[in-house]
Amino acid sequence: MSLRRWFLLPAWLVTTGLFWAPMGIVLAYSLLTRGPYGGQSLPLSLESYQRFFDPLYGEILLRSFWIAVETTVLCLVLGFPLAWFISRSGPRRGMYLQLVMLPFWTSFLVRTYAWVFLLRDTGLFNSVLLALGWIEQPLPLLYNHGAVLVGLVYCSLPLAVLPIYSTLERLDYSLVEAAADLGATPWETFTRVVIPVSAPGLRTAAFLVYVPALGTYLTSDLLGGGSTILIGNLVQNQFTTARDWPFGAAASLILMVVVLAGLALVARHREDIL
Amino acid sequence: MRRRHFFLGLTGLAGCTGSGKPRLNVINYSDYIARETLTGFEREFGVELRYSAVIEGSEETIARTMSGNSGWDVVFPENRLVQPMREMGLLGRLEPARLPNLSHLAGLFRKPAWDPAIEWSAPYLWSCCGILAGEPAGELSRWQDLWQPRYRGKITMLDEPSEVFAACLKILGYSINTDSPEQLRRAQELALEQKQVLRAYLNTEVRDQVVAGDVWAAQLWQGSAQLSIDQAPELRFVHPAEGYSLYCDCVGVLAESRRRELAHEFINYLYRPEVARANSAASRALSPCATGNETVLERGEWFQTASGSTQRLRDRLWTEIKSA
Repeated sequence: MSLRRWFLLPAWLVTTGLFWAPMGIVLAYSLLTRGPYGGQSLPLSLESYQRFFDPLYGEILLRSFWIAVETTVLCLVLGFPLAWFISRSGPRRGMYLQLVMLPFWTSFLVRTYAWVFLLRDTGLFNSVLLALGWIEQPLPLLYNHGAVLVGLVYCSLPLAVLPIYSTLERLDYSLVEAAADLGATPWETFTRVVIPVSAPGLRTAAFLVYVPALGTYLTSDLLGGGSTILIGNLVQNQFTTARDWPFGAAASLILMVVVLAGLALVARHREDIL
Repeated sequence: MRRRHFFLGLTGLAGCTGSGKPRLNVINYSDYIARETLTGFEREFGVELRYSAVIEGSEETIARTMSGNSGWDVVFPENRLVQPMREMGLLGRLEPARLPNLSHLAGLFRKPAWDPAIEWSAPYLWSCCGILAGEPAGELSRWQDLWQPRYRGKITMLDEPSEVFAACLKILGYSINTDSPEQLRRAQELALEQKQVLRAYLNTEVRDQVVAGDVWAAQLWQGSAQLSIDQAPELRFVHPAEGYSLYCDCVGVLAESRRRELAHEFINYLYRPEVARANSAASRALSPCATGNETVLERGEWFQTASGSTQRLRDRLWTEIKSA
């Protein structure tokens, strides 16, 4: 075997052992029947897949897509200026990048839980607003769609900033100057020069944010107060309280196929994805 | 016991390391035993306990031991899961001769409905589900009170279908274990109606907010509620007048265990009066060895395992409630 192949071995082992094997198990579970007390048993059936084609679950899937789209758009809108700022800050770039990545040093769960403390009635925001006399009653900041969105955007923002930054960092600033010299307004420069040049970074950022946001379940539980249900929560419930592993496996595979189909559709036209 | 200990579970106790001593492997909720019970047993019997925390509730215990070669010895399934675990062949038969301390069990727990001869499991700690109420809640004695518009945005229910259905079914005067689709649908209607005034569906994480006054009343398990009342004595726990669910976490030995003798020693140790008291005090759940709780038991109803079709219907109705 050539040396090159040997170097590929660890990657091959990781993808086989940690990706394909578990996916195979999920696929197998999804084709089995729910056992009397959870788990799964024979016979093989497609029932779990058929059950998913129901307006109730379709609505949940659509709701999950929608919140993922909102998260992605907000992350790009917020992440782009930040990435631009960092890429133009000269020697302090390293420090700013460290700051962007700082939240990753603590657990995702702890950070999400911290938002509960910020947003609740006796939390920081409401306490300050009440103390300033701007509001009479605490605002209902927690346990609604907005709170879930804030949590998702907060957790995904670094994932959007980094790829955008990496394209902006390589952006030849003389292109911007040239556009200005040739009479482009700042807006035209932005839309016709900067955006096209940084498009690969924007696309990567969009996928890095969109895909995890689609499968979220902790954020919607903690900040949404369990008052709504996303596809991630549906899958989680099947493996816990509902004890219906085949249906949970089928739902997660359907989600995955839909996401992969979307990726493939875009990747066919663009070679630069990820 | 489901996700009561979710967050605590994530910081679960670390397993011990090898040292040549015999080792007993135990799975339970992370804070569901007194620390000194673990250290005391280790010291007295010269063994090592590996205590692993269950995160997602009793179902997780089944999932983790289903393979039959999990390496665990002692498990703590909830009462409604004793029969399923027995039928799946996961639990081994208890040997009464090795468990003399079971004589300390109080009358009602000597013949538990789910395992009358204490053949497969012994009651470990039990509790019920009621309402943790703060002062702003005012007069509150029934589940039905949690439907009042004056509580809009100030009350929570558990994020557990079985408990939400239990409260609704009790209001309607039905059994919490009903298999009747019609009764379950009526319970769902009630839950949908209540969702209008509800702040959220939260588990034990609601406790801080009740203490802080953000939430006036919350459906909660008694043990968890008691921990908040310890912190904030102005709070109170209400046993709803319509009736409520009861659950009992039991202790059993896995059929696969190769340390049956030591496992029995451990279980027997749990029923020493001072150990049982310490575990109850640490978890704030009730000890089946203690007397004086007969009134709590009287109006409660034990959870049973739902059949497959009922479980599926309940999940569907619950998904509809959440989606609404």
